[in-house]
This record gives sequence, C-alpha cells and structure tokens, in this order.
Amino acid sequence: MTDSGTRTGISGQLVKILVLGVVAALAIWAATPLVGAENWVGLGVVVVVTALIFYVYLSPRRLPAKYLLPGTLLLIAFQLIPVFYTASTSITNYGDGHRGDKDDAIAMIQAAAVKEVPGADRYLLSAAWEGENSDDGRLVFLLTQPQDEAYYVGDEEGLATLDPSTLTVDADGRIVAAEGYTVMSRGEFNANSDAITAFAVPVDDGGIRSIGFDAYQGISTRTYDGSCDCITDTETGDVFVADNDNGYFIADNGSRLRQGWQVNVGFDNFTRVFTDPDVRGPFISVFVWNMMFALGSVLFTFALGLTCAMAMNHDRIRGKTLYRILMVLPYAMPSFAMLLVWRDMFNPDYGLLNQLLGMELNWFGETWSSRAAVLLVNTWLGYPYMFLICTGALQALPKDTLEAARLDGASPLQSFRSITLPLLLVALTPLLISSFAFNFNNFNAIQLTSAGHPFSDAAGQVGDTDLLITYTFRLAFAGSGVDYGYAAAVSMFIFTIVAVISGISFARTRKQEEIYR
Amino acid sequence: MRMRSAGIAVGTALALGLTACGGDTGPATTDESIDFDGTLVIWTDEERADSLQAVVEEFATANNIEIEVNGIAQDLQDAFVTASEQGEGPDILVQAHDWIGNLVQNGTIDPVPLTEEQQSAINSDALRAVTYDGQIYGTPYAMENLALIRNTELAPDEPATIEDMVATGQDLKAAGDVEDVLSIEVSADGNPYNAYPFYASGGGYLFGMDESGTYDPSDLGLDQPEAVEAFEKLAWLGEEEAMKTSMGAEQAIPMFAEGKTAFLVAGPWAMNQINTAGIDYEISPIPAFDGGEKATPFVGTQTFFVASKGKNKAFAQEFVTDFITGTDLATKLYESDPRPPANIEAAAAAGASDPNMEKFLAAGEGGYILPAIPEMQAVWEPFGRAQAAVISGDDVETAVEAAAKAINDAING
Amino acid sequence: MKGNWWTTVGWRHLVAVVAVVFSLVPIVFVISSAFNPLGTLSSTSLLPSHGFSLSNLVNLFEQTNFGRWYLNTLVIATVAATVSIFISALAAYAFSRFRFAGRRISLLSLLLIQMFPQFLAIVAIFLIFTQVGEYWPQLGFNTWSGLILVYLGGALGVSTWLMKGFFDTIPRELDESATMDGASHNQIFFRIILPLVTPILAICGLLAFIGMVNEYIIASVFLTGSSDKTLAVGLAGMVAANTREAQFGMFCAGTLLTAVPTVGVFMFLQRYIVHGLVGGAVKG
Repeated sequence: MTDSGTRTGISGQLVKILVLGVVAALAIWAATPLVGAENWVGLGVVVVVTALIFYVYLSPRRLPAKYLLPGTLLLIAFQLIPVFYTASTSITNYGDGHRGDKDDAIAMIQAAAVKEVPGADRYLLSAAWEGENSDDGRLVFLLTQPQDEAYYVGDEEGLATLDPSTLTVDADGRIVAAEGYTVMSRGEFNANSDAITAFAVPVDDGGIRSIGFDAYQGISTRTYDGSCDCITDTETGDVFVADNDNGYFIADNGSRLRQGWQVNVGFDNFTRVFTDPDVRGPFISVFVWNMMFALGSVLFTFALGLTCAMAMNHDRIRGKTLYRILMVLPYAMPSFAMLLVWRDMFNPDYGLLNQLLGMELNWFGETWSSRAAVLLVNTWLGYPYMFLICTGALQALPKDTLEAARLDGASPLQSFRSITLPLLLVALTPLLISSFAFNFNNFNAIQLTSAGHPFSDAAGQVGDTDLLITYTFRLAFAGSGVDYGYAAAVSMFIFTIVAVISGISFARTRKQEEIYR
Repeated sequence: MRMRSAGIAVGTALALGLTACGGDTGPATTDESIDFDGTLVIWTDEERADSLQAVVEEFATANNIEIEVNGIAQDLQDAFVTASEQGEGPDILVQAHDWIGNLVQNGTIDPVPLTEEQQSAINSDALRAVTYDGQIYGTPYAMENLALIRNTELAPDEPATIEDMVATGQDLKAAGDVEDVLSIEVSADGNPYNAYPFYASGGGYLFGMDESGTYDPSDLGLDQPEAVEAFEKLAWLGEEEAMKTSMGAEQAIPMFAEGKTAFLVAGPWAMNQINTAGIDYEISPIPAFDGGEKATPFVGTQTFFVASKGKNKAFAQEFVTDFITGTDLATKLYESDPRPPANIEAAAAAGASDPNMEKFLAAGEGGYILPAIPEMQAVWEPFGRAQAAVISGDDVETAVEAAAKAINDAING
Repeated sequence: MKGNWWTTVGWRHLVAVVAVVFSLVPIVFVISSAFNPLGTLSSTSLLPSHGFSLSNLVNLFEQTNFGRWYLNTLVIATVAATVSIFISALAAYAFSRFRFAGRRISLLSLLLIQMFPQFLAIVAIFLIFTQVGEYWPQLGFNTWSGLILVYLGGALGVSTWLMKGFFDTIPRELDESATMDGASHNQIFFRIILPLVTPILAICGLLAFIGMVNEYIIASVFLTGSSDKTLAVGLAGMVAANTREAQFGMFCAGTLLTAVPTVGVFMFLQRYIVHGLVGGAVKG
C-alpha cells in the first residue's frame, strides 16, 4: 500500500497539522470541565480517544483506520451504546414502577407519605443561615405564624420563639431580616431547595417542613428501617419487607408499595418470551405474515423503483425532470403524516378510496384486504427510495459491457436480464437486505395504518396484519405500566431472527463482490 | 453508576470524533445553566403551551424569574418520566390527573399539601381526582367530561332517553337532513372514554372502590354479569348505526360542526370548532337508556404537578400551591383556555358569562372519576377492542369474557 | 417508426405516467385539504370542492412557529446530511480499496446494527446527553449541535454500503496509475474517486437529508423549546395534541411545505445525479 508520509503534498501535510491541532484544542476544551469536576474516568476516555486519533493519523500505516475512525467513533457513541443499553436492560425489570435504584425508591416512599397534621398551624417561611453575613452557617427556618403574629426559629433541635424586636418583617409578616441570622433571598432559597425540602424542624407531632415559601407541620407515616430492610406504615401498622429479587416492598397480606426499584432478573424476561402462551401460540402465524410483509415490501418497492429508474434512464425523455420529482414526492413527504392520510383514505364509510372506487369494502376488516392495503401503502412510501438508489446504481454500470451486448444483437429485454439486473444486484443486494430488515420491524407502517386489524376474535391480542414487533410491544405495554425489560428481551429475540436471516443472505454476497476484481 | 461513566465516554468520543471529520457544531440555541435566578420550566402538551405562557408571566414578574412553557410533541408522559429520571426534566408538569398513579410509582411527582382553605376552594370531584393514596398530588385547574351537544336547528328538543336520541337521529337521516345518527368517536380500536357513559347507563362499572375511596383493581366490573348486559346495549347502538367503528376523531366533531349530524358526544375541547362553525347548539347531560342507570361520564381534571426532581423546587411548589390556587388566576386560565374551572368561584364567574361552562359541569355531576391507578392502563385496549367487536356484531358474551381475561392477565402480571 | 418509438421512448412515458398517478393520489388529496377553506377531513374530497383558500397556510404561520421550525430543520438537516455523507464516503473508500482484518465482519455489523429495534434509544440518549450537557452545555439538550451529533452517529450505515458498491465499480487501474504518478492515497480519494462518484454522493446526500427532515422521535425530546422544534416535530405535535382533526387543513399544508425543501434539494442535485461523470471519466 501507499506510504502516506512521503508522498503527501505540502498542502496535505498542512491540512493534517491543522486538523490535529484542532483535535488537540478540542481535547483540552473537553478535558477542562472534567478536571474541574475531578471526573478521572471521563478524563481518561478523553486522553485515550485523543491519543488514538493522533496515533492513527500520524502513523504512516493504519490506512483503513484513517478513513474509518471518524464514523466509527460516532457509531460507537450514538448507535452502539444505545444497542448495548437495550441489551443490558433485557436482564432487568426496568419499566414503570422500577426505574430508579433502591435508595431512590425508599426516598420517594418516605417523601410521599408525609402527611399534614390536621388542624396544625401554617407558617410563612424564611430560610436563613445562622450568623450575620453568613452563607455557610447552619440552615434554620425563620417562621411567622401570621394569625398570632408569633415568630419562631427552627433548627435540627426544635422550635424556639423569636423576639419580634430583633426582626424586620414585611407587610405579610414574613421575616426579611433577623439579628444573628442571614435571611436568604427567594433566589437563594430556591437555589438551596434540595437542603430546604429535606429539612424538618422536629416538633412534638412530626416536623415542620417547607412547601414553597411556606411551612406546614407534617408527619411521616412510612419510615424505612435498615435493620429489617423494611418500611413500616405507622397509620395501618403494615410492615412492608424488601423483596430484593423483584425490586419492591411487600407486606404479609400481599399488598405492595407502588414505588419499586430496578433489579437484575437474570433471564426471566427471555424465559417469559419463550413460555408465555400469548407469545408462543400465535408466533408461527405472525412470523409467516411478517416474512411476507417484509419480502413483499422489498419486492414491490424494488420492482416498481427499478422499472421507473430504467424508464427514466434515457437521454431523450421529455419532462424527465418533472417525472422524477413527482416520483420522489411520496418519499419527500413526512412518512408518519402520510401513513395517517392513507389510513383516512381507507376508512370504509368516509374514506376517499371507497368513494372513488364506488365500493363498500371494510379494508382493514378482512384479512387479505387489510394485508393488501398495508403492502400498497408501504410500496407507495418505499418505491421512491428504490427508484433513487437504482437510478444511482444504473449510472455506475460499465457502459462498454452494455454497448457490447447491444452490438451483439441482444434485445433490450435480454440485455436487461443477463447483464443489467445481475450487475445491479451486486451493488444493491446489501441494500435489499437492509430494506428487508427495516421492513421486518416496520412498526409505524402497521401501527399507524391497520394497527394490526383485523383481530380474529373479540378481545384477541393478535391481529392478522400484526408484525412481531407490533404484537409483542402491545404485550409489553399492556400491563399497569411499560415493561421495558420484557420489551428489550423481545427485541433481542426478534433481532436474532432478523440477524440470522440477513447474515445468511449476506454470506452469499461474497462471491458477487469480487465480480469487478 | 455504570451508565454514568459510559455517558462521559460517549461525550468525549463525540467531541473528538466531530473534529476528526471537520464538522461544525452550529450555533447553540439556548444555554440552560439553571441556577437560582434561572428559568422555571413547565412542560405540557402542545395544545396548551401558548395559552399557559401568557398566564404564568405574572408569577415570573412577581418573583423576578423567567418561566418557560414547553409543549412536548411526542409522548409527554414518557418523556417526562425519562427526563426526570436523569434530572433533565421540568420543574412543573401540566397534565390530566389520570397519570398520577404512574407518575407516583416512578417517583416523579411530589404530594402538595394544600391548606384546608385552598382545598375548600376547589370542586370536590376535582380534589378527589388528584387524591391518590391519601395524598393530594397536584392542583387541578380545569375539569373535563363528556356531554351531549345537539344541533338545535335539527333537533330542537332535548332527548329524554338514548332511545329517543337514536330515533330522532335516524328520522333525520332518513329524511336526508343528516348523514349519520350520532357523532361519537369510536374508531377501529374502540374508545372506552366515549363508550363509558353508555356502558354505565347499561349497568356496568370499571373498578369498585375500597373503604378509603380508592379504586380497587381486584374488583373489576367487567367480571360481573352486568357488564354483559351493558355491552348488549353497546351492541344495540352498533346495530342502530349510532356507533360505528369507521367514525374516528377525524369525523366525529367536524361532521357535527358541519351540520352533518344532529348529536355529538364530546367534551369542552370540541367547543372551539363548534363555535367557529357558527351553528346553533345546546349542551345537556348524556341521557340514560330507557329504564337504565344514569349515564355517568368519566370526570377528568387538568392539573399542575410539582416534579420531584426539578431544579427549582421552591419556586415550583410556591407556584403550584400558592399562585395557581388563587381565584383570579383560575379565571385567567379559563379565559386563555375555556374549560370549566376547578376553582368553585372562578367556575361561578365563568358560568355567569358563559352558560356552556355550567352545562358541562352539570353534565359531569356525579360522574365517575377517571381512575388514576396504574392498572387503568391495562383496561383501555381490551375494553376498546370489545366495544369495537360488539358494535360490529360479534358475540357479546365472548367479547366481554375475553376483555376481562386480558385485563386480569395484564394486571396480575 | 411508430413501433420503434414505442420500444425506445413510449413505454418509458407509460411507466412514468402510471407511477406518477400512483404517487399523486394521496398527495392530491393532501393538496386539496391544504387549500380547502373549511380545513376538515370530512369536507375534503380528492379534488377541491369548497373553493380555494390560503387560510390554512396563513394560520400555519400565524398560529405556530412554522417559520422557525422551517429554518431549524433546514440548518440541522443540511449540516448533518453533508457531514454524514462525507464520513460515510471516507469509510466506503476504506471498505472498497483496502483489505484489512475484520473488513467483512465490519461490513456485516454495519448492516446488523441498523436492524436492532431502537425503542430504548431515547432512554439511552437521555443517559448520554445528561452527562454531556453537564460538562459541555454547548452540546447538551436543546442545542442543534447535540442533535446533529446524534444524527451523525448513523453516518455509517446503508449509505456506506451504497457508496462502497459504487466505489467497487471504479476500476482499480485508475488508482494504480495515479499511484505511479506519485499521488498519495488521500489525493486519490479526494481528486480522483470523489469526483467520479458524485451521482451516488448526491443520492446518499438526498436520502440522508430526507431521513433527517422526517425524524421526529429523537428530535422531539431533544428540542423542547417551542421555537426550537423541527418541522416533523411540529407536525407530530398536531397529531399528538389531538388537534389534527380540527386543523386537518393546517396539518396538510404543513405536510406539503415539509416536502418543499426536499424537492428543492432534489432539483439541485438532479444534475449531479443525471450527468454523473462516471461514463466519460472511466473511458478516458
């Protein structure tokens, strides 16, 4: 291979120095806040990535890496990490009610159980630091009980009355200055929200807590006890014991607290995918239609797109530009908007199609009309894409081969079948595979049009146009909240199927790839 | 913590990766370093964002802060929960109360202890709606429920029963005055929210209540024999073409506004379209079936919530407990977005100038508070599916049984 | 002569007309709604029947931040699409011209990654950008640069494949003779290969542009300010807020206008697509 160091021109060297200079500058820019926050892991990554970039671009070797590095770094950051994140979620119970960690759950349970003591006083609250001109003294609450015009100071120990003569109050009676304390402005108060909302002045019955710029007397009815790893409800006497395998607190009577936490559930989600009768039962029939939908979408879009590209691939077509624009138009419109418009057009009573065709067909009500309809819509949406890439690929065909075939007396159809199509397929097979994969999981194309209809039995969960992805997601979202862990396991499962099919198809492209060599 | 370091790795990689390809990062539109004099952020849906922004300015000026109201286009609930989890969420959320259960189980909203005085100023149904697990979780500002709206030119008399209404609609249709018997959004997947008053009038219920007044997910109305009778009524409405799966949101309100139907079942959100169309109309409670129960609609509220993980909690709490509870403000909210106020005095004031408000409130009286328990999420789809099936002529008993089974399966995991 | 006309040109017009009619049916319906003064679905037929009005367009600009959305979309999609095809072309060159360990598996991986159902991507993006925003607010939420970076994560993908296939068709003799003349690998890439592949760059650029204009799921959580939105997010908001049926005409007008930049970019790129330099240069 070429040795870049020796042959690159002066300008090339200059560009390289410039680019690496910018990399260095950005690395310093990126590192500064990390150093400030003492985030050594982050800093390490910055250093490693920067070093990698310098290594790759200064080395006379590593040619492929020079071209692949930028895209790969971005790919890792924004595609691979989300993929790994999804994969790692599949062995957890992450989902509604199980989103944070246990400490979060305990904090939320306790916070949600603070109840106002009935009939207790309300106060106007000023937060303050102990000491004059201080901003790091102890946090105290300066309280005004407006009806009695009584003033108090509250700290961790409790409540004490204040002498009104040491205070300055505003028209409402709120304390704005006090001897021996530094009263916070509202802005400062807000900036210290975390400390203030966590603070409670102990009184006989509960504690005085903040709510906005006021204070109330609240009593915590649920408290966590680390020794028994349990939460006791002081109102009902129920004891909720932590179930660390499932991530929630549960009482003897089977009732459990809503706020749970995320735990590792091993392969439970996968076991559920394979054993759940709702998944296993209809799996084969859904899978068969899913394959038909994906293959049909690829076939129809490709056939139509290629036909149009072939038709337009000629010098003497009048209005070619206009034709091309109109053909690309379906792809230029936002697809979700057009899927909804199509759905409206298929409406049996009010839809445009039945009106135009003079029919009364319930399009999404019958299996085959529904399937035909979603394929029609998907072809409409997708053929301009195929048209564009076929147009591009046709430009790349070796003209002399085509010319030779023409001189040999091959008819246009013959030369299309024996030369053009095979050559096109070499370039386009990977795209057809990727189009297959895209359509295999084309959630929107189904959800926004037929939504799986028709459903064979009254409350059947599975519809005749459901894809694996629409159907299983309905299962994952059907409970009392979204079960992301399960949905992730389901998508890993579907991904495996698609990847195997695609991988096998891909392996067959190896020979084709060498055709130009 | 695992993802924490990964996140940093990514940030670095991207900062560097970008340089390598010579990209330009483009101008940043905002720089949100929220500190104490920063911005109080409110999230709501797109529909409400603009009208709220105008109202909140008063609080912003009084406290010398900035308030930004963002309308979230996609999946507000999910975006809020996910963003809150990472501390990137707003300080205040404005949404319907039926999300409370899910928001609480995800630890994303705080209870707001309203004073007795503040509580007594709020419509008791609205207060009940935002009470969950014995705690008040937000300040409701507007109420919404279904009512029957009729075109008085086509149907001058208020129908006494559902049967009357259907008969009138059919006569008008036969005479060619209208295109459909009734405007009610159903769609292919059914619509339990709209079907509920009819189901209730037929004798069905959703969840029973325990002693504390909380909905009990183990007491599912669809398990009861009354549910089958109620669904028979829905099937009858389907037979009479008063409910059609082909009628979706795209048809129901617009057709009524265009005079193509004489009756519409909808809430206050329909009024803008109807007023714009300029037809003569009257609002009344949804009638009951002949000899049936009262046709109680779901009662919902629009509510201000304090985000647990907001960065400006003091201002957020002050806003939700103190500012938004005032009658003046409730009136302003009503003026910017005319829905029946949850504040009793503001509702009375609004009623004086706009009789529609009182009629909507009257239609919702004694209504069924839309359950906020997370289990409600398991109900929507099977119930809707069963509704769509029976009005298309499927066997009622099978449909109800299947729906009940699907819901119980989902609730019990 | 008539038969000859038919086999060379005539059938092409027939195909084109059929395809165009197929393309246009729903679009004519959208246009008809967009200019329907009543602006509802139920009052719209395929061809305008209630007269013609620009009120939906006017409302779109008066009641929403449509102009800003337009600008945001154009900037984000143009920058991201341009950078993205450049990165992709670099990689395609490496895959086409060099043989290195892990090449086939890398190519296959690029294909497979695209197939992974990315429904949790939003959660992951939140995790990532919470960190990013904490240290580098210039790249955090509510910034164009952050969103563009996310889009660039998909730079290597189908378009890399498409370009690689195209690069494969350029004879190696070209590189070799250039090498003999003393050109370095990057000179070959920038001065010889890239000019030859303009048609595919144009097409990939267009596809990337369309993809980014239409993306709304990530954009909707990334850009929350009402003037920060992109077109697709704004339109999706009309659907989500249940205002679509009330403002169907506005929705259609918005849908229609969203297609305008794409068509513009396509017309601009047409000449590169049509008059690809491949044929001439390869022969030369």
